[in-house]
Amino acid sequence: MLVSKSKATSLQKSERKTLVSFLLLYSFFAVVILFFSAFIYYNLQKDVMLREQNSQLKEYSDELIGKLRSLHEDFTYNKTYPRSKDYNSAIYDSSNKEIFSTLIKNEVDLTKHLYVIGNKIHYIRILERYYLGTMYLVIEINENEKWFNFFKIKVLLYGVALFLILLIAGYFLLKLLLKPMRESLYLLDRFIKDTTHELNTPVSAILMNIETFPRDTLDEKSAKKIHRIDIAARTISNIYNDLTYVALKNQVNSKDESVNLTDLIKERGEFFKIISTQKKLVCNLDLEKSVVIMIDRGKITRLIDNLISNAIKYNKKSGSIHIKLRKNYFLIEDSGIGMTKKEIKEIFERYTRFNKSEGGFGIGLNIVAAIASEYNLSIDVDSKLHIGTKVKISW
Amino acid sequence: MVKKIIFMVLLVVNVQAEKNIYDTNCLACHKQLSFNLEKIFFRYLLKYSDEVSVKSALVDFLQEPNSDISVMSKEYTRSFGLKQKSELDKEQLKEAIDIYWEKYTVFGKIK
Repeated sequence: MLVSKSKATSLQKSERKTLVSFLLLYSFFAVVILFFSAFIYYNLQKDVMLREQNSQLKEYSDELIGKLRSLHEDFTYNKTYPRSKDYNSAIYDSSNKEIFSTLIKNEVDLTKHLYVIGNKIHYIRILERYYLGTMYLVIEINENEKWFNFFKIKVLLYGVALFLILLIAGYFLLKLLLKPMRESLYLLDRFIKDTTHELNTPVSAILMNIETFPRDTLDEKSAKKIHRIDIAARTISNIYNDLTYVALKNQVNSKDESVNLTDLIKERGEFFKIISTQKKLVCNLDLEKSVVIMIDRGKITRLIDNLISNAIKYNKKSGSIHIKLRKNYFLIEDSGIGMTKKEIKEIFERYTRFNKSEGGFGIGLNIVAAIASEYNLSIDVDSKLHIGTKVKISW
Repeated sequence: MVKKIIFMVLLVVNVQAEKNIYDTNCLACHKQLSFNLEKIFFRYLLKYSDEVSVKSALVDFLQEPNSDISVMSKEYTRSFGLKQKSELDKEQLKEAIDIYWEKYTVFGKIK
């Protein structure tokens, strides 16, 4: 396994993900606030425009009232409605019934005084004397679109500038907030890496020395003690490897190569053989010759180690382990405590341990799942409570 | 000659039959007044605006004529007096007023 220096020094994946998520959420709220502000500004600008038009519209309505009065008085001789090139108009009686209209936008809201409908402005005036029965007089003029074009340009320019300022401010704010957390995580990360590194040398030294220790010269009692030290050292070695994998997994580049699984399983079987003797387990290997796959050797070793380690850990005393290897799958079967269907669903979650009496952190099968997912290996788990568990890895 | 007499009689009967409650009870008297019914209608329109209000005000006035609810000026009522209470019952009044409304309404007449 190679540690990528560039990845180690740059932002970690999770931190980058947090940064992106925060900025997305922050941008979303910034946009909502900007839209809300633009909406308020739009209404203010519209009010200003309508106020500017109000005096002109009042003049038009005065003019029309005068003409309606004449029409009312001379209705016997003249029935022609007064029209103007400057505005359209309509008259309604007190029951809101239209008496006559030259409006283009006929949807009229008589409860309002002044409003915009489409590209038209409607001005409503209530008459004191109902000429021709007219209670409501409506004047319609075209909306002056200059103000709206000016508004659009202003909102676009200020909006974009403000959004960029908010975005930059948000980025620096988050960096500032994450700084103490980042430093703590960095220290913790360094501590784990240093610790695991420092553990490597003594664990390797213990294992190497025990392997080369001349046990024949020892009496039975001393040999037993050395045997127990050997088991403990191998267990520590396995935990050490899992922790290293978890601590460095984001910063490790996979180095795929042709791995002879037959040889690797034999080698790992040998490694765990001593641990399995503690429970007096019988281990059967049914391995097809020279099964080779392209994979990172370190990762497939972690996968196999964790499955074998679990098969030993959760087995009964004097139980059995059966390991089968074929061209496209690898199966490990134990005669252990087994699991319920509900437990099977949860086994790949990190820190899940069903049997607290056994050691470990509950990260083994989480590592198996992560490696299987990376290499598109399928995992099938079949388990019966108090009978045993079968785990099949296919590719 | 007999045919001519019969024809004339039928014509008179037909004309009488065509005269409605408005013509016989309203128009007949108002014809002789200086202030015609059209002007009165537009006074009501000026004061009450919509059909329901105008008709209701007319019924009220004709049933109980009163200078306070009259659309005519105080000077006019002082000079010419108030109209006598109508002899028509409410339903007949409504019928006459409906005809009156249709005759002078501005709806559909403005060009």
